[in-house]
Amino acid sequence: MYSTELVVQTLISGIMIGVLYALMALGITFIYSIMRMINWAMGEFYMIGSYLQYMLVAWLLGPDLWWLAIVVSTAGVFMLGLFVQWSLLKPIFRKPPEARDDYATVVTLALLLMLRSLATGIAGPNQFTPGSNLPIVMVGPMPLAGARVAAFVFALAALWVFWAVLRYTWYGLALRATSQSRVGVQTAGIDVLRVDRVAFGIGVALAGLAGALLAPVFLVFPTNGLITTVKGFEIVVIGGLGSIPGALIAGVLLGLIESFGAAFVDSAYQNIYGFGLVLLILVLKPNGLFGERGREA
Amino acid sequence: MAALEAIGLRKRFGTLQAANDVTLSVGQGEIRGLIGPNGAGKTTLVNLVTGVYVPDAGEVKLAGRSIGGLAMHEIARRGLVRSFQVTRLFGGLTVRENLLTAFYARRTSADDDGEAQAERMIRLTTLGPLADTPAKKLSGGQRALLQMGCGFMVPGRCYVLDEPFAGINPVIKEVILDMIVEVNREQGAAFLVVSHEMAIIRKLCPQVTVMMEGRVAAQGTLDEIARLPAVVAGYLGKALE
Repeated sequence: MYSTELVVQTLISGIMIGVLYALMALGITFIYSIMRMINWAMGEFYMIGSYLQYMLVAWLLGPDLWWLAIVVSTAGVFMLGLFVQWSLLKPIFRKPPEARDDYATVVTLALLLMLRSLATGIAGPNQFTPGSNLPIVMVGPMPLAGARVAAFVFALAALWVFWAVLRYTWYGLALRATSQSRVGVQTAGIDVLRVDRVAFGIGVALAGLAGALLAPVFLVFPTNGLITTVKGFEIVVIGGLGSIPGALIAGVLLGLIESFGAAFVDSAYQNIYGFGLVLLILVLKPNGLFGERGREA
Repeated sequence: MAALEAIGLRKRFGTLQAANDVTLSVGQGEIRGLIGPNGAGKTTLVNLVTGVYVPDAGEVKLAGRSIGGLAMHEIARRGLVRSFQVTRLFGGLTVRENLLTAFYARRTSADDDGEAQAERMIRLTTLGPLADTPAKKLSGGQRALLQMGCGFMVPGRCYVLDEPFAGINPVIKEVILDMIVEVNREQGAAFLVVSHEMAIIRKLCPQVTVMMEGRVAAQGTLDEIARLPAVVAGYLGKALE
């Protein structure tokens, strides 16, 4: 018989990690819904976020200012995203849309290889950790790692800001309108390539934030974005491509399945349980839980 | 100085010369009709003028300034606003949000009050009860109304309306007609109205341009044009029956 405590602890840790996975998936789905392309280099922006966090904490700010490091790392990845859109993606989007996503796929895959090699070349294959001096947090009788709790709270705050920007600002309205009709916003008088730039920046900043938050937990090395990216895409398939609520709900769902699978079945297969859910969704609901068949109006 | 001028526009798609030396001018405050049989090049002209297509030759001027080579959004921001035959609304956004998007996209000063303007436009379009309904739930006529409302959220110099009355019930047709007349009178905005509905064109447009096979075939009042044998044989004979 399993104890209630274990069930509750598994539940909590599942939700906590699920929200962080959701950040990643949200970034993928957000960029897709605006630009109609998949950014395959998502994991590399996660990786860069984690390196920035490590460098800031280890060399500049110290572990007490970890939260400031997170903000700066995320902002750094956002700026990098603006630059990548301006230098690599905008020229593609200036052309007629026929082969646009093919080009975008090639460009972002090349970016993935380049950034990963760059990280290996500069920092070597070593694993770093920014460490964390956050104390263990007790939830009732259960101890939770301070770094994980902090990451969870930070992620929730970021999700709230993301939602508030989309819901209540003029730029959020422009972003939502662009996700509905790219031709429509251009006719209305909005520079769609500028909207793309901001959307790409926000999307990769979500990945960078996840990387910075998870740096003390999953460590910092050149390919550390791989597993999280795979999970991001699993979530996108489960939740439905282009759906923001889908990314959040499926993210938490994936976190729960992994954590219950690890606790009650076998922790060696933790990364496999999600794939089981993906297969199930593909059979039962191929567009994902909240996916759309097509767009109208 | 004309509100909108197209000078010698040419556009070829493969072997089809869709616009062949089209010259057309819409005066300040004028409501000009653009008629012609299907495939005459009316929508091609609209797309050339609003920056969707790049012309092979020719020039487009808005209030005397060339707008050739500008992107669609830049042309819209200069005050050349178009509507589509198949409405391009933001289906997932509400009626109000559609109006606000149009407002923020083209507003000229950060002080302008979008909410108040949206309220006014909701009244004008008679879409009050649907203000917070997603646009994808609207009927075809309501969409056409909303599209008009979006265009009028910020005063434009010239409106190019592509078949604003096609497939729309008579009541909504009247509302759209009234909106055009009112905006024309209040703001002095010019209109180029593409339509097959001769009764409405007669009411709305003192001057009409006829296009046939990619060329301007005739210009004048609808009655003058109706007397030209070539136009009657090629188009109006059927349309007026």
